[in-house]
Amino acid sequence: MSPPAIAASGLCKRYRRTAGGYRLRTLKSALLEGSLTGGLGSGEVVEALTDVGFEVAVGEAVGIIGGNGSGKSTLIKLVAGLLPPTSGELAVNGRVAALIELGAGFHPEISGRENVYINGALLGLSRRRIERRYDDIVEFAGLGDFIEEPIKYYSSGMYVRLGFSVAIHTDPEILLVDEVLAVGDEEFVHRCLARIEEHLAGGGTLLVVSHTMALIDQICDRAMWLDGGRIRGLGSTRRVIDAYLESVAAREGEAHDRRRLSAAAAAASKEGADGGADGDGAEVPTAADGGEETLRWGSGQAEIVAARLLAGGEREERYHLHWGEAVAFELEVEPRENLSDFVFGVGVKTPRGIDCWGTNTDLAGYEPRLLSGPVRVRLVCPELRLAPGEYTVDVAVHARDGRAYDYRRRALRFTVAESTALGSIGLYLPDHEWQVEASAERAGGDEAEGDPRPTVIDWLAPGDSESQGAPRGQTRNAGGKAGAPSDQRRNE
Amino acid sequence: MLAAMVDLARSLVRYRSLLWTLVMRELRARYRGSVLGFLWSLLNPLLLLAVYSFVFGVILKRSDLVDVEPYGVFLVTGLFPWIWVSTSLLEGCTSLTANGGLIRKAVFPVEVLPAVAVAANLVHFLLALPIVGVALVAGRLLGHSISGWTVVLLPAVLALELVMVAGLAFALAALCVHFKDVRDLLGNLLVLAFFLAPIIYTLSDLPPQFARVVQLNPMTSFTTATQDLLFFGRLPGLDAWAIMAAIAAVSWVAGAGLFSRLSDTLAEAV
Repeated sequence: MSPPAIAASGLCKRYRRTAGGYRLRTLKSALLEGSLTGGLGSGEVVEALTDVGFEVAVGEAVGIIGGNGSGKSTLIKLVAGLLPPTSGELAVNGRVAALIELGAGFHPEISGRENVYINGALLGLSRRRIERRYDDIVEFAGLGDFIEEPIKYYSSGMYVRLGFSVAIHTDPEILLVDEVLAVGDEEFVHRCLARIEEHLAGGGTLLVVSHTMALIDQICDRAMWLDGGRIRGLGSTRRVIDAYLESVAAREGEAHDRRRLSAAAAAASKEGADGGADGDGAEVPTAADGGEETLRWGSGQAEIVAARLLAGGEREERYHLHWGEAVAFELEVEPRENLSDFVFGVGVKTPRGIDCWGTNTDLAGYEPRLLSGPVRVRLVCPELRLAPGEYTVDVAVHARDGRAYDYRRRALRFTVAESTALGSIGLYLPDHEWQVEASAERAGGDEAEGDPRPTVIDWLAPGDSESQGAPRGQTRNAGGKAGAPSDQRRNE
Repeated sequence: MLAAMVDLARSLVRYRSLLWTLVMRELRARYRGSVLGFLWSLLNPLLLLAVYSFVFGVILKRSDLVDVEPYGVFLVTGLFPWIWVSTSLLEGCTSLTANGGLIRKAVFPVEVLPAVAVAANLVHFLLALPIVGVALVAGRLLGHSISGWTVVLLPAVLALELVMVAGLAFALAALCVHFKDVRDLLGNLLVLAFFLAPIIYTLSDLPPQFARVVQLNPMTSFTTATQDLLFFGRLPGLDAWAIMAAIAAVSWVAGAGLFSRLSDTLAEAV
């Protein structure tokens, strides 16, 4: 087995704080120990990374996520060899290209062309190699004639594009990317991603820092969540991202949470565990992460003691659904006092927070009069028209002016099963079919006598075999086989 | 210490193409956008020469201290190498701090940066050498018995001087990362070094008690050797060569040692 591309164990990195006046001591330490922090006490240093250990296999793509100041960039710089670790082991096997700040070393006064050569040389390319790849580099950057202009006249986007282009053309085995795609336009980002995919397809290794979860989700095999310089999560991309987002939401929730009654906590953690108890439970962070409980806020005048998703005609509790199934979102609500102002609401979102659908009893026109005891509220949809994918559900009981009694973000999660028969893109998937027919009689006598409908289109509808080829196609897509009622596929 | 000086030299040889590319960047970028462009490489020292010639050759002329004719030609042979040395040290000193962004963001051999400052200024100096040649020829045509075949030994002095300047530049660059004060200190030291070197006067004409002080200046050996070869047309003694070689060696060993000791911490401290 080949050695891992990157292997780290017990990695620590301390920075000195420069606010104090210990320049002489740090110089002495730098001279004697080759470290800036040797002679400094704990108050004088910042520990950016603590005991970080991980391995990245050759050909693997790993994303690093975490808040600002969590040590992501420091880690990238250690791997790149820009900074030495304070302690710990780090082995990097392979030619590295670090896309950290693109165009570092570009000189503003001279042309893009000359800068390509200089930047290439800084990145370790020989002049001959740059000459060979020069056209590729310029074409990839998409600068056209502008390549002859001094860099100082470039827009920041052009600058970054040229920098990325030079760096990516160094043919690295290990590509380190630190949030550099944020500057380019959509088209260029797509080109960069395509290039990164090529790099991966060619067996290259990738370590990428980004705050764009969708990007990490899209290209990475695994994700690493850094929090305060320590690894908080390392594993399958989706799971780590979810755990991170939960924690962010929880932290945000805490700010809203001051007035919450403590009685809600017990029920919340119980429900949190329920929410993750379906078949894909491993992909969902459990209540042990501590995020579930604080995803809710509200005055506590009424409490959602349970929320569940009931699926199918039998209304069984289930979180793995099929397209077109009947579903009911059920809330058990207990008021702590008599309420004359109350609204029940349900909102369905994607894991990345895009609202798919939401409604509440106020929007639906219900006028509250009195809520004086526990109730079970159900929002029933005869057919769920969401496309395959993962969804989260926010549930709430609140006053008509929006003041929350109990707001529970991501109280439920469910998936709509993937199925090739559903061939569509997007979030919304209505029942639909393709219909086509000849729009006019064709003139002329070259058609066979006695054929009232000449053939103007010939295709095979899905599910039709060659022999059954019909000149007129009528294809029900969402239901799978042509004409099959969708609800028959409910439990497949 | 000794390993460091060999490693540094080896690294500069290994990355010579990067070094050269960056030198060209410096040279191209410096006068980009100016009308006279590269001519400034010649004009700058010439204008300085004109100022010094007028001030020290006319206004403050003291024949007891400066007994050389023509004074302007004598001044050229000391002043031009001095300009190279002083600008190299000033730019070398700030070469790391000025490129902080690059050092923090790109993985490349940092040691080329001070070397680029020295080398780029060496190129400027070499480009200005024809002026020295013209001045010497003009002096001879005017009937002064100056210069001679000894000029062919100039590269030897310049090579030793280059080693000294590079060593100092490495030391200054690494120190400047930790103390920006070094740059201001250096500016003043260079003024002192200029006046304590026999550039605008001759060592032999100094009162002995001053001559001893002036001889403590490392630049004195190189300046007098250069003047001997170019202006007086005589060979420096063996002791002069030995002193120059010793200064170059000490400077390189100290500079390389200091730089390599501090290089691990540069990206962080810069």
